[in-house]
Amino acid sequence: MTTLAHFQLLASMLFAVGLFGAVTRRNAIVVLLSIEIMFNAANLSLVAFWRYGPHPEQLSGVVFAIFGITIAAAEAAVGLALVIVIYRYYKSIEVDKMRSLKG
Amino acid sequence: MDVTFIILSLITVVGAIWAVTLRNLIHGVLSLVLFFFGVAGFFFYLNADFVGWVQILVYVGAVAILAIFAIMLTHNLTAKDEPGFFSLRWLTGMAIAAAVGAVLWFAIKNNAAMLQTAPAGVTSSVADIGRKMMTDWVVPFEVVSLLLTAAMIGAIVIAMEQISHRK
Amino acid sequence: MNPATHIPWIASYLWLIPLLPFAAAGVSALLPQRCRKTSAGLAIGVIVVSTLLSFCALAESILHGLEPHAGRTWSAMQTHEVWHSLIEFTWFNYGTTSLKLGFVLDPLTAAMATMVSLVSALIFIYSLGYMSRDKNFTRFFTFLSLFAGAMLGLVVTNNLLLFFICWELVGLASYLLIGFWYHRPSAAAAAKKAFIVTKIGDTGFFAGLLWLYHATGTLQFYTPDHTGALEQVTALAGLPGIMGLSLAGTIALLIFCGAVGKSGQWPLHVWLPDAMEGPTPVSALIHAATMVAAGVFLVARTYPLFQASPQVLTLVAWIGAFTAIMAATIAVAQNDIKRILAYSTVSQLGYMVMGLGVGGMAAAMFHLLMHGFFKALLFLGAGSVIHGCHNEQDIFKMGGVKKHMPITFWTYFVGTLALAGIFPLAGFWSKDEVLTAAFRWGGGLHKGPFVLGCLGVFLTAFYMWRQVCLVFLGEYRGGKARAGHKHVGQEEAETHHETAPGVPHESPAVMTVPLIILAVFSAFMGFSGLPEHANFIHHFLNPEHAPHVVNWFVIGTASALAFAGLGAGHLLYGVKPLAPDEPDPLKAKLGKLRDFLRDKWYCDELYEATVVRFVRIAAVVVDLGDRLLDGVTVGLGLLARGVSFFNFKFDEQAINCGFDGGCGSVRVIGRCFAALQDGRVQSYLRLVAVTAAILAFWFFLK
Repeated sequence: MTTLAHFQLLASMLFAVGLFGAVTRRNAIVVLLSIEIMFNAANLSLVAFWRYGPHPEQLSGVVFAIFGITIAAAEAAVGLALVIVIYRYYKSIEVDKMRSLKG
Repeated sequence: MDVTFIILSLITVVGAIWAVTLRNLIHGVLSLVLFFFGVAGFFFYLNADFVGWVQILVYVGAVAILAIFAIMLTHNLTAKDEPGFFSLRWLTGMAIAAAVGAVLWFAIKNNAAMLQTAPAGVTSSVADIGRKMMTDWVVPFEVVSLLLTAAMIGAIVIAMEQISHRK
Repeated sequence: MNPATHIPWIASYLWLIPLLPFAAAGVSALLPQRCRKTSAGLAIGVIVVSTLLSFCALAESILHGLEPHAGRTWSAMQTHEVWHSLIEFTWFNYGTTSLKLGFVLDPLTAAMATMVSLVSALIFIYSLGYMSRDKNFTRFFTFLSLFAGAMLGLVVTNNLLLFFICWELVGLASYLLIGFWYHRPSAAAAAKKAFIVTKIGDTGFFAGLLWLYHATGTLQFYTPDHTGALEQVTALAGLPGIMGLSLAGTIALLIFCGAVGKSGQWPLHVWLPDAMEGPTPVSALIHAATMVAAGVFLVARTYPLFQASPQVLTLVAWIGAFTAIMAATIAVAQNDIKRILAYSTVSQLGYMVMGLGVGGMAAAMFHLLMHGFFKALLFLGAGSVIHGCHNEQDIFKMGGVKKHMPITFWTYFVGTLALAGIFPLAGFWSKDEVLTAAFRWGGGLHKGPFVLGCLGVFLTAFYMWRQVCLVFLGEYRGGKARAGHKHVGQEEAETHHETAPGVPHESPAVMTVPLIILAVFSAFMGFSGLPEHANFIHHFLNPEHAPHVVNWFVIGTASALAFAGLGAGHLLYGVKPLAPDEPDPLKAKLGKLRDFLRDKWYCDELYEATVVRFVRIAAVVVDLGDRLLDGVTVGLGLLARGVSFFNFKFDEQAINCGFDGGCGSVRVIGRCFAALQDGRVQSYLRLVAVTAAILAFWFFLK
């Protein structure tokens, strides 16, 4: 029988994979997509909690996941637009090239 | 643990790993699509049908296509000079991801409530979700719609800046 | 009198006072640039409504004080109990606890809200004239509304967290307003300086806030069942804190850090004079009525915590006294009209903090309220002069403005006398209250703040009269020398109509009318705080303490010193008007000391030499560390290549062990800094992830 722990372990594993991509890859697009993976992992966790939770009729997990998807979509749209602008400016989308935060 | 869970887990995990490791960005996005479908499958499996459809529509239909366009617009079909598997960078990344994953694993393992099985008869009809959205969650709902509008306008404004300069 | 039984109608609508300006800011933020009239009208209309509501609150709290007494005289207000009317609501629940926010109506709130909203309203109207030619007019009024909303929110709140939120919003709004002409590098730098310097204090404040929450489990100041954070002081005073202080004292000290930053007390006063880069109405709003008052108000609001710890109060008194005298001496040697006023503000804030420290909470608040009126008047007057003199700010290039700008002169004159503390203007009464409180504080060393305060009175009168003489009396010295000093107000020159250089001109009525109103308040508001039985303010704000009797010694000393200061100023600057290029007569009198004062006691230089240099060194170390890190990376690659190379490396390390050992600690520090500050987004992300993992593990294992 599949327990809640299975889902949560899977979600945390996906989160870790996304985190790995976000801190490792140099390409800004891949970094953004890795962040999407982390979002998805969080959504999966929320929906699983809703499914196994004591008050499924409240639908909190589902509603939260929908909000999460919405925000992730907004984030992806703005993020990819920024990537395009950064590409125009730096002629590159390598995250390491953007170092103007350095004092 | 049943067969559906195992198959879906394989799809998602493999899709995610490919998405973050493949050098060819188009291949990466395609494996990401695989991952998105896998997660959508999980949503169906968890009786959250509506979320599953939203997942497919938004992620596969919009985010993945957007990413492909971004890749093409930046002439970046393959990631050049990405360091190798055993580079310091990748090892650090793996260590960090493993540490965070271990924390989560630790938290899940030490929680007895995690061992419960799924109660029967849990559903989420679109009508129920709609009712919830319009009653308990109406303020966040409106805020999110505002945010989405702002993000859409913002994305357009950011990306078209060059055109306005050319004029 | 049980406050829970009777909630006046105005208390239920108290939230409207800050919310209206916030809403106005939100609406005008969405308006296009060309909607100048709409935005200004909205801002002014809304602040006027807030003012009216504040007056209702004031009237309500005064009437409330009168109700239980038949006598209906001010002295009958001595109820021996501070009265609060509370409105509570729940922000959100987490677990079994909930975070409650709320508003409080008490005399302190009512008096402060009235002053803030009234002065803000007048400054808004004045800005209509002052900023009329600025192309970012709409944006200016948006920021002003945001500022007023945040400040009023801070005044009416009954919760330290909401207080902190508004406090930071005030900081944000002031950052935006000081840097309003952001294309001017000095303005951008001043805005950043103000933001960063006040943040130093805010860190302490936030630590205090968290500690208070940890200790009491609530952040409400008062609650209907008397379990608010300020109502548990007795318990806190019994617990140990740090450095031998009680817990109440420790938290009070941390909170005081925030007040020091916001109210420009030494050693965090350096941002306030630089903040003069903003448009003049902003200077008036920030330096007179609101932002700097927030710090003093914070101490007054959390005063029970301070009262529980005499050591902290002593520190507060000395910091206030030192700031008062230091800023007054600096003001003596400044040439920029706005800078003089800025240092004067720092000095007056020092008086208020000193008043708080010596136990005269009502006296300090009284001075704060009076100072709000006359300092707003002085700043707006200075703005009018700057406007009239074609954006000249150097008082040595002014002179004789009196005959061209009579209204500005007379109102400025009233403000000057009020600030100097001349009978019977507002400053006389309030400063007398503060000094009397200081005088009664104790004997011996405890007379120190009083002595410093008296010296400050002399200096205040001196520098104010110096300014009046140089600006308004004598002959106009501007005009010719203008070309060389164009940079002073270049931006303002662009934004205002460029009349022919030469004679100054009076400002339009939209600017002079607020001046007149403020002058009337500065002249007569002081009568609300007459000593002895008629001391309305004192009974009103702090009924628990009996008002003090008239102390003729203090009144005499202070008045004599004020007149002496005016006389000294007149001797130096008034008797013989200065010629256009004549140097400051003070230079001959004071010599090197004047340079020391002109350069602000070298505070900026001191910070440059210590704090900033430390940061620079750290940056160099970071850079070195960065290179070292690269070296380490290369070294690792080499290690992997072959054992022989590894051995060679090892030998080298073993041989150079002593040297490397010496460098080791430096290298570690450098590496830490490098990891923190290399500008790569992903490094920051890595750091966040690792920190989160470590913290989580720590919580699990604990």
